[in-house]
Amino acid sequence: MKPQFYIWMSYGMTALAIAVEIVALRVRRARSLRRIEEERDLEAQD
Amino acid sequence: MSAAVAPLPAAETCGSFPAGFAWAFARDVKLAVRHPGETLLVVAFFVLVASLFPLGVGAEPQLLQRIGPGVIWVCALLAAFLSLPSMFAYDYADGSLEQMALSPHPMVAWASGKIAAHWAASGLPLTVLSPLLGLQYGLDGATLAALAAALLLGTPVLSLLGAACTALALGARGGGMLLALLALPLFVPVLVFGAGAAEAQAAGLSAAPHLSILGAGLILAAMGLPPAVCAAVRIAVD
Amino acid sequence: MKIAWFYFASPSTFYRLAGWLAPWFFALAAILGAAGLYIGLFVAPTDAQQGEVYRIIFVHVPASWMSMFIYFVMACYGGISLTFNTRLAAMMARALAPTGAMFTFVALWTGSFWGRPTWGTYWVWDARITSELVLLFLYFGFLALANAFEDPRRGDRAAALLALIGLVNLPIIYFSVVWWNTLHQGASVKFTGTTMQIEMLWGMLLVALSFWMYSIGASLTRVRAIILEREGRTLWARALAT
Repeated sequence: MKPQFYIWMSYGMTALAIAVEIVALRVRRARSLRRIEEERDLEAQD
Repeated sequence: MSAAVAPLPAAETCGSFPAGFAWAFARDVKLAVRHPGETLLVVAFFVLVASLFPLGVGAEPQLLQRIGPGVIWVCALLAAFLSLPSMFAYDYADGSLEQMALSPHPMVAWASGKIAAHWAASGLPLTVLSPLLGLQYGLDGATLAALAAALLLGTPVLSLLGAACTALALGARGGGMLLALLALPLFVPVLVFGAGAAEAQAAGLSAAPHLSILGAGLILAAMGLPPAVCAAVRIAVD
Repeated sequence: MKIAWFYFASPSTFYRLAGWLAPWFFALAAILGAAGLYIGLFVAPTDAQQGEVYRIIFVHVPASWMSMFIYFVMACYGGISLTFNTRLAAMMARALAPTGAMFTFVALWTGSFWGRPTWGTYWVWDARITSELVLLFLYFGFLALANAFEDPRRGDRAAALLALIGLVNLPIIYFSVVWWNTLHQGASVKFTGTTMQIEMLWGMLLVALSFWMYSIGASLTRVRAIILEREGRTLWARALAT
């Protein structure tokens, strides 16, 4: 295996992990905002 | 089940460490003796799994000698892990744990007593049985001695670490899996040094360094973990 | 002049502060990361013994440093939350854990791919690697325990205690190369000086700072989501959602 393979696998996984985390953060924020909206709308119906 | 065993010493207004330790130790040992199923389960599991390995990997003597200490240690780990929930679960469920938290004796005292009783019902039988299982793997006398010594030093540490994890996970969803995730990684250093002691002896080197580290770990754990267990129990009963 | 020292100790006020701060930290992370990678990949010379493969050091070592540092900060927040019985400190601990776990995984992965060409194996059970793996499980255990209870405050406290108990693992990771003969080399970077080439050192330090800024940005962002999840029924939170 050429050294480039190992370098790409290492840097690639690092970039992927950071990207996954950032996406997960955005998803989590969107989900929590949505849940607040839903609860607020549900209670407004009462 | 637990209320009829020994009444809390209500007349004492000033508790003490030895009294608290002795009370909890005697109570839990008596409970274990009255319900021997738990202890026998631990022992049976230990013997069974340790006996399954030679059947699985084949009876080649050199291979068995190489893997013997490690396998026996892993079985000891798993058997210790199996018996962890019973340390606090029943008392937590029927409210005795809350009552014990109100005891005049210092909390570390009866918590240490409980852990010692757990070890007496799980780690101690395993240590005593280990030479017999070691013979199955064709280990020689010095290796068996090193293995037994390592187990003697290491299994109390397992009980202490396991107690902290069990207390943390009291009343949690996820039960056994959560406990495994918490306890088994913490068990790893004990496994490494414990099996290493016997393997070093088998290789002709001295087991003393490994046993020294195990001993040091035991001292640290015995001093540092009971307060952590108490903190976890307080979190659980509040 | 009276200073309100604990003004930002409330989830609602800290929410706004974190939202204002986070983008700056991400920006810093990007700049420092670009600089560090440029130096590491293009400026630093080829290693005499390892060739080009050594360049993995520029992500492996910073990730390892962050994996330990984040755990330490997480445990500190856990200690603060237990001592002062605060909500926000516990939320910060929860916010740090996933980022710490990510860096631990990256450290193990990059170490594995560095080990294959240099040591000949993807994995070996030496002291440092094993204790780093234990650290990964400690992060998982922290998150699992924190989320295992109906009452989030109970989860906060139990997980904080677990984090404190697991602190003992950090010195083991750090000093393992001193205490045992392992495949890992000893420390090349000390406070007294270093044996490394200066460009290699700078590359490593810049990427480490970048990861640090990124971790702060990520945990500030995550704690905002946690605050919304936990405080979702308050007036101020409801006013946020349009």
